[in-house]
Amino acid sequence: MKNSDIQRIGKGRYSLDVRGQVCPYPELLTLRALQNLSPEDTLEIILDNPPSVKDIPIAIEKRGYKKPEVMRVDKGTWKIIVQNPK
Amino acid sequence: MIKLDVDDMNRFIGRYSLGRDSNPLNPTGSPHFLRIKIPGGFIDSSQLRSVADLTKTYSRGQAEITNRQDIQLHWIDATDALEIFSVMDELGFTTDMCGQGFSGARYGDARNIVCCPVSGLEKDELLNGTSLLKELSDFFIGNPDFQDMPRKFKFSITGCGYDCTRAITNDLSFVAVKKNDDVGFTLLIGGSMGASLPGPRLATPTGVFVQTEDAFNVAVATIEIHRDYGSRESKAKARFKWLLHNWGLKKFLSTLEEKVGKHLELYNGPVFLRDGGHERIQPQSQEGYYYVNVPCIGGYISCDEMISLADLADKYGNGDLRLTPSQNLIIPNVEQKDLLLKDLKKIGISIQGSKLRWNSMGCASEFCGKTTTPHAKEISKEIVYHLERHIDNELLNAAGFRIYVSGCHNNCCANLIAEIGLAGNLTRENGVMKQYYSILLGGGFGKKPSMGRRIEENIPTDKLKLMIESLLSNYFEKRKTSESLKEFCNKSTIKELKLYLNSKGG
Repeated sequence: MKNSDIQRIGKGRYSLDVRGQVCPYPELLTLRALQNLSPEDTLEIILDNPPSVKDIPIAIEKRGYKKPEVMRVDKGTWKIIVQNPK
Repeated sequence: MIKLDVDDMNRFIGRYSLGRDSNPLNPTGSPHFLRIKIPGGFIDSSQLRSVADLTKTYSRGQAEITNRQDIQLHWIDATDALEIFSVMDELGFTTDMCGQGFSGARYGDARNIVCCPVSGLEKDELLNGTSLLKELSDFFIGNPDFQDMPRKFKFSITGCGYDCTRAITNDLSFVAVKKNDDVGFTLLIGGSMGASLPGPRLATPTGVFVQTEDAFNVAVATIEIHRDYGSRESKAKARFKWLLHNWGLKKFLSTLEEKVGKHLELYNGPVFLRDGGHERIQPQSQEGYYYVNVPCIGGYISCDEMISLADLADKYGNGDLRLTPSQNLIIPNVEQKDLLLKDLKKIGISIQGSKLRWNSMGCASEFCGKTTTPHAKEISKEIVYHLERHIDNELLNAAGFRIYVSGCHNNCCANLIAEIGLAGNLTRENGVMKQYYSILLGGGFGKKPSMGRRIEENIPTDKLKLMIESLLSNYFEKRKTSESLKEFCNKSTIKELKLYLNSKGG
């Protein structure tokens, strides 16, 4: 998988690019990435698969995370921002 | 940078995915569906038992046979996916790639290849298409060169003389024909029932003859044309039919010949030899053996039924089973058919009833689209049982018709090419969305394909069966000897058909 690395983009802030991946991989990669980060770290997920834009916030909230922020970057790209709990 | 350990996912990417179920008007609680590709519907008893296990564990014990010979499960949670894919990998099955979720004209893949479900069994079969089926299916599995096409691409293969695969709805269909003493394939291209541009299209006969040894190269060259020249401007223009609409047949054929490096022979004979399908119990080309087609109206099949049918395939056949493009299941290679029928009866499956039990389909509207209850599969079942209760089954069979029901305008269940097609629409009434249907009449496929005409719109679901009964009552009374329902509908005016639908004969 070409997009499987978490990039550090600032202090305690990371980015995961899952563009081009179909369900269930964006959701699974997001959950795995969060497990690899420290408490209170923030993860920005860049994605272009609309079903995952709906699925990821549901999956994250189900696991007790705060409701993530979902932003549309352009016509076919979204960014979901989620913070690991304390 | 933090490197994620994704070896467990990497082995599935490009071969497995989940589709998203979403019907906000009828929440089923299903987050995802799993569409298991079963090339040509060929499955054996142990594979079917394993699919039944998956169904029991992950899909509330319920599955569907699709009209492309897949098995579809719902209620799949993404976090169970890798475990499920692992089981499927051992079974040798993959899934559709479900790239339609993306907003652009991208990530199209080759869908499950549909093949005559009684290939190698049918009496008077011209050609057994299974070697082409296998060669092509194996070629596309996980092949990265064909996972980012403008949109999906659908193949079908049939060699029995019937249009049992609904060849006219596929992007490329191989239909076995005889030219002088040679048996090979003619091609139909550019079919699609979907609303994308230039709208629903019956596949065009190409008038070419392809030798069997060239069929694989022709198939790959055609899908490459779709991949390389198909429009990526928008999803609406990305199906192969749009390219064909713009290019025309002549340009397509000359490009195809250039790619395969061969001049294609001409063929001007018939495409299909017979109308009908493979219903009920039929003698095989192997002396003393039969295939038994088990009807599953709407394609519903439970985990318990799968296990029972797998057991019966072992007991009475050689363990092979075939899923049909009409959402049914066949047990082939049966010698003691009467004993099999008795055992089928014990598990509540009857091979009696009208042909409508084998010829009626419904889409999975409860899980997708903009629909609400009652849903397509239950409607098709209800209408079949109603007609069987009120009209002599022999009369129904002689009328020679199918009922296809799609819950919305997307024509997933090919309602445009059924003699009686029903297409759903929603209307808001007092703030509540209500399900209605349009009635289309006179479609059909086989020797003389045609699209149905929309005769009625916004019909409440409880009236559909009564209106169809009324139409049939008028048809039986007014038809000419041996005139099929399709012929009767197509010679009648829309005004007359409206009257027939709304006034029980007399």
